[in-house]
Amino acid sequence: MFFHISLEHEILLHPQYFGPQLLEKVKTKLYTEVEGTCTGKYGFVIAVTTIDSIGAGLILPGQGFVVYPVKYKAIVFRPFKGEVLDAVVRQVNKVGMFAEIGPLSCFISHHSIPSEMEFCPNVNPQCYKTKDEDVVIHAEGEIRLKIVGTRVDASGIFAIGTLMDDYLGLISN
Amino acid sequence: MADDVVRVSQQQTEAIKIKKWKVRKGITVSIGRILLIYEQANAENPEQKKLKATRAGIIHQILAKEGDVVQPGDPLYEIKSCNHPTIMNDMCAECGTDLRKDDSPQITASVPMIHAIPDLKVSEEEAQQIGKADNERLIRDRKLVLLVDLDQTLIHTTNDNIPPNIKDVYHFQLYGSKSPWYHTRLRPRTHDFLQSIHDQYELHICTFGARNYAHMIAMFLDPEQKYFSSRILSRDECFDPTSKKANLRALFPCGDNMVCIIDDREDVWSHALNLIHVKPYHFFQHTGDINAPPGLDKHEDDDKPGVDLTNLVKDTEKNKKTDEHEDADTNNVEDDKDDKNDKPDEPAVDSTGHKETDTKTDAPSIDNPDNAVEKVEESMSLEVITSEEKNTEDEKEQSNKDNEKLTKVENTESENTRKLKPDDNPTEQKKSIKEDNVIDVEDPDDYLSYLEDILKRIHQAFYEKFDTMESGKIPDLKQIIPSVRSRVLKGSKLVFSGLVPTHSSLEDSKAYQVARSLGAEVLLDLSDSATHLVAVRPGTAKVNAGRRRKSLKIVTPDWLWSCAERWEHVDERIFPLNSKGSKNRHPPPHCSSPEHIPSYPEHETPGLRKRTLSGRFMDTINPLMSFSRDDIANMDKEVEDILDDESDSDGDNLQSTQIDNEEEDDTDVEEAKFAHMIQTEILDPHNQELNASSTSGIAKSLKKKTKRKRLLENENIKEELPSQRFRRGEYVDDELENVDRDPDDNDSDSFGAPEESDGEWNMMGAALEREFLSD
Repeated sequence: MFFHISLEHEILLHPQYFGPQLLEKVKTKLYTEVEGTCTGKYGFVIAVTTIDSIGAGLILPGQGFVVYPVKYKAIVFRPFKGEVLDAVVRQVNKVGMFAEIGPLSCFISHHSIPSEMEFCPNVNPQCYKTKDEDVVIHAEGEIRLKIVGTRVDASGIFAIGTLMDDYLGLISN
Repeated sequence: MADDVVRVSQQQTEAIKIKKWKVRKGITVSIGRILLIYEQANAENPEQKKLKATRAGIIHQILAKEGDVVQPGDPLYEIKSCNHPTIMNDMCAECGTDLRKDDSPQITASVPMIHAIPDLKVSEEEAQQIGKADNERLIRDRKLVLLVDLDQTLIHTTNDNIPPNIKDVYHFQLYGSKSPWYHTRLRPRTHDFLQSIHDQYELHICTFGARNYAHMIAMFLDPEQKYFSSRILSRDECFDPTSKKANLRALFPCGDNMVCIIDDREDVWSHALNLIHVKPYHFFQHTGDINAPPGLDKHEDDDKPGVDLTNLVKDTEKNKKTDEHEDADTNNVEDDKDDKNDKPDEPAVDSTGHKETDTKTDAPSIDNPDNAVEKVEESMSLEVITSEEKNTEDEKEQSNKDNEKLTKVENTESENTRKLKPDDNPTEQKKSIKEDNVIDVEDPDDYLSYLEDILKRIHQAFYEKFDTMESGKIPDLKQIIPSVRSRVLKGSKLVFSGLVPTHSSLEDSKAYQVARSLGAEVLLDLSDSATHLVAVRPGTAKVNAGRRRKSLKIVTPDWLWSCAERWEHVDERIFPLNSKGSKNRHPPPHCSSPEHIPSYPEHETPGLRKRTLSGRFMDTINPLMSFSRDDIANMDKEVEDILDDESDSDGDNLQSTQIDNEEEDDTDVEEAKFAHMIQTEILDPHNQELNASSTSGIAKSLKKKTKRKRLLENENIKEELPSQRFRRGEYVDDELENVDRDPDDNDSDSFGAPEESDGEWNMMGAALEREFLSD
């Protein structure tokens, strides 16, 4: 699920940037440091929308670096258990398939793939498909899945998904 | 653990009528799976509805039958809670439970079935199921599994500087723009080979290279991913840094009956019977296997101060000098005609008296009479260098002397020998660059066409056997492959001359074992039934006697080695015994597969099986896998059993050495493992020997035993454990054997003896002949 929330971040600035462009530098540094990262609590920071305030910089004694506390708003993506999402299949194998929902990787066990879909290793690319080849899921295909579990680490999130529900599976265009 | 069975009752407000169960007992269900279709029992216009699972697990029992009317609160089915058969990142892939939490049940899933994703693990039962499905599919498609090694089997990679414009060489960096460049040369015909073989084999890459490297090479080999797909196993996924064998059990949980392996190293597969030992591909000079298992001294090959291709292309003369210089550096051994294999390798005169010092042994030597420089390849397999190469080199160098700018002035014979060398010399390839001064390197390596043929024959043999077997049974490639091999020279009866030292028994010799593994019979003396005489030199009594027999084909040992390399009956006319004879008394490393002797499996295979008493594949010594307490107890028992068995079978001597080893290896488990392996290795030739030489050999073998014991003790003192050498990839059993042949007289030339006696025979033969002639 996507959220638009207020976050805080501290920017550490080298003294070489102390000049007329200082605040610009703080902003660009915020974008590069924050966008694309993942925190366990808020999920993936997709994009910074506004920078609300840049606090007073604090010079670190003995180093000369300045710390700016920055408050900003960002769009974050935080997957939840039970959430239904669209994903792109990255790899299929005999144990299941891997899919990506933007920055989030997700694994779907073959038990969680409808039993009428069979793994076919011999065709290129490998795929899961039904007997009558109505539905063929292979790498790069788009699927809709439901998340049944997430592993949230300090540095990333990994999800377990399932296709076992109504309206899940291949998204046909 | 997984035994908490939950009884699920009907949750609806009204009674329902079960129309159809969509699951059956024992099946794994995940949340949301449709369990049954029902309708309201009392409704006027019953609408079919689906009942979905609310929790993941295994259906333990179905309590309501189809057609039953179930009242609210009545039981429907029992479900065993999820035993987490598939785990990804410590998270159950069925129910999404986080298994890192403290209260999580014990993890059963431990088999990483997918090559490149070690985080994804499935339980044994699951693995067995998947493996079974795999096997069925393979049978249906009439395919087999082929594990393909990369380095020196299909490709050769170097990180030396080489000219950028050599044909068929790929250049790449693995770790960003500042990382070292790698240069990979595909073995000639690789693409054709893969193309033609992949109809019959499911190809897997199994390499000791890093994951990046493996995938990069796979891109070169298979840009469309139609051969290997994602079946790439690299060092990152290997359980054991020195062996690929452990992963086999994970990848093929139903056994390796249908698995065939091509690799240039036997040791990493523990000399498996389903391995085809490939002739190593060597293209770049001064580079061994850059992905050799650790401890196997790849650096000795790798870091050798070498001439690079640039120099070779630019300046032949300079190159020569460098070579000469380097030769002098590495090894100053003068090269007499006959001391090739027993020349004392400088640091080698230790108690074993036969220590091969990796590549140093292979280091070139100076041929005195011509003052020609011999440049011998750094054999990556770190084995006894065969004099063969030197032989070629001799010829080559001589002709080089005659004509410095020689282009192709090789006589047909040397051309032939060169082509058919089991061990093609990289130097030669280099020289062809020099000579032709073109960058499209002429590469004489044509091994892949033979390999393709071998694999096709194996495939054919497998499915022929499969068709004759009753359904449901699958033949074992570990039997098929040796049997295919033993058809090569079937019906031939060989007599050796000058090949086996007189004081060692015929059955012990490599040549004998190679010949037997090819299915040939080996006769002691020249009888009427003999078909081939394999002679090292002309002029021996046997050769002289054999010359009078029209039907007898007299060949050099190269013929035998060539047959062993290609697995086919090579035309004898290519290897006639001429006045020069042959120096290749020993098979090249990749031909020596004593394990492939047909009799071998009879007493080795049970031993291997014993290690998995419970019949479960996961009972391996793999630290990365999790074991239940039962498993560990099981393993302990196995170890004890094995130890018991050994002490039973090998009597006092080995027991004592075993104790020695045990004491010594207590500290290091790995050491113990290797020591154990070595012991079994020792055991084995030993047993063969006992069987074979039962007539004369009992006293002898007793003596040998004591010698062996002494030797092992010596070794222990010397700190040079067999295991250490084993890790370096040397054939420990060979060495031990050689050593125990005569540990007392290290100085004496162990192969000189037969020469002399042969010489005597020659003299006598000549004298007799003269007498006859004069009459």
